[in-house]
Amino acid sequence: MATTRAERLLAPADLQDPATFSQGIPQEAFAEMRARPTLSWTPPSGGDRTGFWSVTRHAPVSEVSRDADLYSSAVGHIQIYDIDEDALSARASMIDLDPPVHTRLRRLVSSAFTPRHVQSYETAVRARIAERLDALMQAGGGNWVEAVAAPIPIGVICDIMGVPESDHDYMIELTDHLVAGTSSKPLEAGAYGNTTDLRLLPFNSPAAHGINEYARALGERRRAEPADDLITKLIEAEVDGERLTDAEFTNFFRLMVFAGNETTRASMAHLALHLVEFADQFERLRSDPSLLDQAVEEVIRYSSPILYFRRTLTRDTVLQDTPLRAGDKVVMWYAAANFDEEVFDEPLRFDVTRPLRPPNVAFGGGGAHFCLGAPLARLELAILIEAILSRGIDLRLAGDPVHVDSNFVNGIEHLEVEVR
Amino acid sequence: MSGTELVRVAVDAERCIGGGQCEMLEPEVFLVDDDEAISSVVGSGALPRPRADVVVHRCPGAAVSIVEPQRPSE
Ligand code: HEM
Repeated sequence: MATTRAERLLAPADLQDPATFSQGIPQEAFAEMRARPTLSWTPPSGGDRTGFWSVTRHAPVSEVSRDADLYSSAVGHIQIYDIDEDALSARASMIDLDPPVHTRLRRLVSSAFTPRHVQSYETAVRARIAERLDALMQAGGGNWVEAVAAPIPIGVICDIMGVPESDHDYMIELTDHLVAGTSSKPLEAGAYGNTTDLRLLPFNSPAAHGINEYARALGERRRAEPADDLITKLIEAEVDGERLTDAEFTNFFRLMVFAGNETTRASMAHLALHLVEFADQFERLRSDPSLLDQAVEEVIRYSSPILYFRRTLTRDTVLQDTPLRAGDKVVMWYAAANFDEEVFDEPLRFDVTRPLRPPNVAFGGGGAHFCLGAPLARLELAILIEAILSRGIDLRLAGDPVHVDSNFVNGIEHLEVEVR
Repeated sequence: MSGTELVRVAVDAERCIGGGQCEMLEPEVFLVDDDEAISSVVGSGALPRPRADVVVHRCPGAAVSIVEPQRPSE
């Protein structure tokens, strides 16, 4: 029996409005949606022709994630709002492609991010973290995001890609503007010398143009003088006997610096809040260091840096007792599934002793697109937590956190702290 | 004792996304190649069922499966 439009349960909050996320995850609205027998519906708004279904429970997030055939990343956009066909293909990187094309691209870089391989980055990551923490301690405090959460992940991913240290600040600036594209703040179309139609650029942001230009220039340098980095690998790579096109190359680079950066930064920013609010849990960890992996996973679950990704139905199906049609938009709210009371006992409790199984879905629910950088992000967080505890850093908040204005990233823009 | 029942595991190379969890958990049984990070089974692929289950569940790409109970060797 198909539900009629009138019978559909409407989402109890405006999930397209960044303001809904201005204090973080809208826990009450998500709890209400999880408790429903079916998915929740949001009717079309703005320029969109179709509305979308929201998935908020853990099990259907995994189900959708693991069936790329039925729930496509390439048909339609992976954000809620629609974009034109030409815009879709202009910005396509592996994250908005389906297997087998997706998988051929992913395999160009996947060996650099296996758990075994990321261990080789440990010394460099440790040094970066030590430098940032020591500077913050000397200063007695500051903006935790600017001092710690932002520079560490960008530094690490830039090292792996082959972006020189002197350009790291520029990369932070560009990627910050990229996320600003998901917010309600207006953007200057001509920024960074952009001449491309904004609707063709990822996040409709001129900063995407800046990143593309940067990638092109660095690629040229590596073509002339190869180095042991991923830029060189991408410039020299062949897929089915052919080199990457200019767009494939720049889109790849942009995905890597964005994905490797904004997300890990968000969890590192939230970590500061956790350290203050759940100090007893970190005391517990201090007395039992074997809980480190669980603590890392709990920080990731609790911060859920990516709020959602969208898929588009390729055929009719039924999901959580909800009949869906080909072409329907399905939005997986990772930040809701990570607090599913069926899976996580007392989900709002921050608990470093939570079992690792079943896993949270902050990195996705599994399947083809499961976060490439999960082992790297875990390594960075583990080292950061360890370094904070071993220095005996006593963190105090010196102001309220300012959240990133977005319905896509659960980020923190500014967090003033004191360190003792 | 069901805890010691041996089963055989397999990797679907098409689905493998190089998450590398299998190799971390069972380095004697899985090898993730250094080039494209595709996992494969080395040797007989035999594991006690509970350990095989952990790998199956932890594989982010859902690429590891249990193919058959391992026959007791002659
Ligand atoms: C706490 C930090 C991070 C979180 C929460 C996170 C989250 C995610 C999520 C939710 C996805 C989509 C999964 C899906 O569609 O099933 C994803 C994909 C991806 N992530 Fe991460 N990520 C993090 C860190 C990183 C890092 C450090 C890198 C650096 C390499 C990275 C690179 C990627 C890439 C390249 C993809 C696309 C993979 C594909 O389409 O096959 N991420 N991430």
